[in-house]
Amino acid sequence: MSRLSQYADDFFEDFNDDQIRVIGQPEKPDKPRSPMRWDVLMWIMVLIGIGYLTCLLVEPDFRPDWMKTKVESEETVTQAEETNTKQQEQEIGTAVGTSTPGFMEIRDTLINDIPLKLYIPYNADMTLQIGETDMQDPAIIFSAHAADVRADNGAIVGAFVLKGKPLSWGLSKKGFCAVIDGQVTIGMADNSPLFEEATEKGGYFFRQYPLVSDGALVENEPKGKSIRRAICDRNGEIFMVECLSRESYHDFAQALVDLHVTQAISLVGSSAYGWAVDHEGQLHEFGLQSNRSFYRKSKYQISHVVWRKR
Amino acid sequence: MRKQLVISTSTELVRIAPDHVVYISSDGNYSTLVQTDGGTRILTHQLGQLEKLISNQLGKESSLFIRIGKSLIINRSFIYYINIAKQKLTLSDVERFDYTVTASKEALKQLKELIEKED
Repeated sequence: MSRLSQYADDFFEDFNDDQIRVIGQPEKPDKPRSPMRWDVLMWIMVLIGIGYLTCLLVEPDFRPDWMKTKVESEETVTQAEETNTKQQEQEIGTAVGTSTPGFMEIRDTLINDIPLKLYIPYNADMTLQIGETDMQDPAIIFSAHAADVRADNGAIVGAFVLKGKPLSWGLSKKGFCAVIDGQVTIGMADNSPLFEEATEKGGYFFRQYPLVSDGALVENEPKGKSIRRAICDRNGEIFMVECLSRESYHDFAQALVDLHVTQAISLVGSSAYGWAVDHEGQLHEFGLQSNRSFYRKSKYQISHVVWRKR
Repeated sequence: MRKQLVISTSTELVRIAPDHVVYISSDGNYSTLVQTDGGTRILTHQLGQLEKLISNQLGKESSLFIRIGKSLIINRSFIYYINIAKQKLTLSDVERFDYTVTASKEALKQLKELIEKED
């Protein structure tokens, strides 16, 4: 590729979310910045300094830890720990009797200015399936794309077990989700014995990008922004989270950490089609219908996370 | 004859009049083209490639389209409503279709200024 052509490609690709450009016209150069007024900057810094010193003398909350008395400092730490523990212990879902027919609770929340939609299953069991989910089946209350597929041959990316039958092998993504004897386990490992256990016990297993491991954010290579989805474990509670704005893996994973999620791996995001049924039997769709038709006609082996009523 | 936009891959070809395109959104390696008849088409091109293709094929007429951020190309004739605070942009012909997309506040502010200057 010639250098000129490379510059042309950079022009089209090197663009951030705060820019607009009329196509076919060169970008306007940035306005020249006004020269810095150093004298004004110095006076602002002096005023900030005076303000900070006044705060230190008058208001104890502004003092750094080393300036506080020992008791004062310990009290603050204990209060913060108590609040944090209470938030972590509190379950996301609500208590529902076992006789209630299975449904998905769909709840909106906002973490770090990122709008999130939570899909929480009640009285339902998770499995995986290949191919389109039957929307007419009244037992199914949730469906979402699980593992990624290869663009060239439509095969599943990474190890995959369907009802005890291994369909795909290999480690391309370190996150995994296993369903064995109805127990859902989400985690991150190069080699997981749960793959073998799933094959022995008629269980399910798939791999995806890890987002949260033991409550800590996991960084991933792709840096682009998209609608992200994840299957999460929050101290034993399993649910799906979708961000309603386009986010990087990093920002999405940070929002999950701040939601006190303990383990999470991604599901297929962007326009991948899925749906959930709430307690009134109302259907809630996400992704694009056209994406569903596209995959229906294609050779791709599309896998789904499916929750069925117990 | 009016210029048509031709988007072609090794196995497929889409030919569409530019004024029948409402917007194109990016889905990573794919893009989704939304048409005035309500139809959508998934294209195996990245948005930057489509921007380049529009610019090359339509020449001066490509100014009908505006790239907004990393993930949108819109047809400026259908800009109907901009709400900077809610980060909403509605594209509509006020007759058959009405699509609302999101963009950054800064991008919408610039778009609003652009439209105000031109109209």
